[in-house]
Amino acid sequence: MSVADSTVAGRAVIELDHVSRAFKVPGGTITAVDGVSLAIGAGEALCIVGESGCGKTTTGRMLAGILHPTSGRLLYEGEDVWRKKGNELSTFRRAVQLVHQDPYASLNPTRTIFQTLSAPLYRHKKAKGNRDATNRVRHLLDVVGLTPPDDFLGKYPHQLSGGQRQRVAIARALTVDPRVIVADEAVSMVDVSIRISLLNLLLGLRSEMGVSIVLITHDLAVARYFAREGRIGVMYLGRMVELGHSEALVSDPAHPYSAALIAAIPEADPRITRSKERVALKTAEVPSLLALPPGCTFHPRCPLAEPGLCDVQIPELLPLPADTPREVACHVAIRERRPAAELLA
Amino acid sequence: MTPILSVRDLSIDYRTRRGPVHAVRDVSFDIEKGETVAIIGESGSGKTTLAVSFIRLSPRSARITKGQILYTNDRETVDIQTLPDDELRQYRWSECAMVFQAALNSFNPVINIWEQFADTARAHGMKDSAKIHARAQELLDLVHLDPDRILKAYPHELSGGMKQRVLIALSLLLEPQLIILDEPTTALDILTQRSIIDLLGQLRKKLGFSLIFISHDLSIAAELADRMITMYAGTIVERASVTDLFYRPRHPYSVGLLRAVPRVSGAMGSVASIPGSPPDLIRLPSGCTYVPRCPLAIAACAEREPDLVPVDTPNHEARCIRWKTVAEQVGTAEVAVAEKIATA
Repeated sequence: MSVADSTVAGRAVIELDHVSRAFKVPGGTITAVDGVSLAIGAGEALCIVGESGCGKTTTGRMLAGILHPTSGRLLYEGEDVWRKKGNELSTFRRAVQLVHQDPYASLNPTRTIFQTLSAPLYRHKKAKGNRDATNRVRHLLDVVGLTPPDDFLGKYPHQLSGGQRQRVAIARALTVDPRVIVADEAVSMVDVSIRISLLNLLLGLRSEMGVSIVLITHDLAVARYFAREGRIGVMYLGRMVELGHSEALVSDPAHPYSAALIAAIPEADPRITRSKERVALKTAEVPSLLALPPGCTFHPRCPLAEPGLCDVQIPELLPLPADTPREVACHVAIRERRPAAELLA
Repeated sequence: MTPILSVRDLSIDYRTRRGPVHAVRDVSFDIEKGETVAIIGESGSGKTTLAVSFIRLSPRSARITKGQILYTNDRETVDIQTLPDDELRQYRWSECAMVFQAALNSFNPVINIWEQFADTARAHGMKDSAKIHARAQELLDLVHLDPDRILKAYPHELSGGMKQRVLIALSLLLEPQLIILDEPTTALDILTQRSIIDLLGQLRKKLGFSLIFISHDLSIAAELADRMITMYAGTIVERASVTDLFYRPRHPYSVGLLRAVPRVSGAMGSVASIPGSPPDLIRLPSGCTYVPRCPLAIAACAEREPDLVPVDTPNHEARCIRWKTVAEQVGTAEVAVAEKIATA
C-alpha cells in the first residue's frame, strides 16, 4: 500500500478529525493541540516530531483515546469513538495501545514479567487457565525478542535493562492484539547502542502482524529511520505544520520550521555537520502557549514571513504539488508552489 | 608542551556488596591546552566515573586503586589526588570547572541568578560585590543572555536552554583552563542544542580553554571535538582524531556505536544496534571484554585483553587484535561508516 492510499478517508484505522485540546493552567488556558487532523492507515508507520511543548504527546494521547479532545472527533474505523459505549468502546480500547517513554516507571516493580503480561490476558479473556496464559506469555516474549522466554517469566523489572523493560512494555501492549500502537518517545530513554533494535522490533510488528505504529519523537533522525517507508508529521506550537513522505520531508522540507529544524540538527558525521547551511531565524524565542501570535504561530521567527498575510491568517495544511505527496501549512510555500527549503536557499 | 591534564594508568573501583566494580581500568590520556576531547561510550562504560575523578568528586564508595591525574598550569604540576583541601578548593572552579549531566536542576531554586553567581564567587574568595556583579554581567553577555533580566530571575523562570547558558557562564566565572561537560545538550530541544553547541564553539575560540565532554551523543562530538576517546567496560578501546574515529574507526565497538545512530542528512546506510549488553564489571571476562558482542571475534580474542596498539593512521590507537580486518571493512574514505559497511 502506498503512502497516498493510506490517507484515503475510509481506509484509515484511526483518525483525528480537527481535534483541539485545551488545558487550564494558572494564568489562563493553553491550547496544546489546535485543529489537528491525521488519518492512520492499516499497517502504516508514522512519526510525529516536534520540540517540547509542540503538542505531540497530547496528540498521541488523544489518538490512543486516553485524553478527550476539547473539540473535534476521534474516529475508529470511521466511527466516532467518544460516542461509543460499553462493548464498542472496549473494542476500541483493545485496538489501540500506548507504549510509554519511561520503562522504569511504566512497569509495576512488585510484579514479575509473567504477572505483568498475564494480567491483561485474563482480564480480556484471551487466556484460560495458568497453562494457557504461560504459553501465551512465552509466545509474546519470543515475539519481542526476550529469549529464551523461560529466563524472563519469573524476573522482576529491576532485573532487566532499560531496553529489555521496553520490550516487556511492548509485549504488554501486544497482549490484547492491538491494531494500532502509539509509542511515545519509546526509545529515547534506552541507550543509543540499542535504539535501532527496538525500532526494528516495532517495524517488525508492523510488517508481520499489520499493526499500525505511531511513533512520537523529538529526534528527526530516529523518525527518518522509523518512517522511511511512511510519513512524518512535524508539529509546532499545537499545529501540524507539515505532513509528508519522510525522505521528501527530510531532504527537502516544505515548511520553514521543518527546514530550520533539519538545518539545525547536529549530525554524527563531522564533515556533514560542520558544513551544514543553517536557516537563520528572526528570533530564538519560542512564543508562550499562553500568548500565541495571531496567524501562523511561526511568523515571528520565520525568515519567509510576509506582513499582512502570515501574521493575520492561520495557514491550513494543504497539499503541495510535488512528486511525492505532502501537505504543508505555509502561505508562502503554497503560493509559490515550492517547498520552503528551496525558497530559503 | 606539557599537557594541561595528564591521566596515567588510572583505575577506579566501586565497593559493593557483591565485590568491587571495576568502573575504570588503566586509563591513560593527555589533554593539551585549548584542545577539545570527547569521551564516548554507552551508559556504564565508566565515562562519568572518570570525569568526576578529575575534580576529586567521586562518591565515597569509589576508590582510586592505581594511577595519577596530573594537572599543569603555567606555574606548576599538581597531582589531584594528593592536593591538600584548600588547594583542591582553589583548583575546583578556578582551574577546572565541571557542568553536570543533571545541570538544569543544579541551581538553588530559592535564590535568584545573581545570588547564584555571588554565592559561587564568595565561596572562592571573591569579596567585592561590585566586581562580582560586573563579571556576572560580562559573562551573561558572553553567553548571549540579557544580564539585567537574567540576574533578577529565579531558576524556574528560565527555559532549559537559558539555564544551560547560565551554567556555562557560571562555570567561566573564575576563568578556568579546563571545562568538563557531562552530556551538555541531552535534555534540550534541537534548536536550543544547536545554539549551545555554537556557543561552546565561540567561547572556546575566544577564551582558549580546554574542553572535555562526555556524551553518548556522537553528533555533539562530531561538531566540537578535536580528538575522541571511545570507552568500553571501563577502559579506552580507541583513541583517535575526530575524523579518524568517524571515518576510519579501527575498533569494532566504535564501528558499532557509529552504526547505531541514524542520520538526517546523507544516505541512511546499514544502521544497526549492537547486540547484547555490556559485561558485568564485577566479573569481567578474561580477554577482550567486547568478545560476546563482537562480530569479528576469534578464539585468540578471548585469551588475553589486547593492548592499545597504533593502527594505520598517525596518533591513532585501538585495543583490538583484529584492527586490520576492521580497516579492510571500513577503509579510509571520508564517508560515514554506516554507508561503507554492507548489511550483514
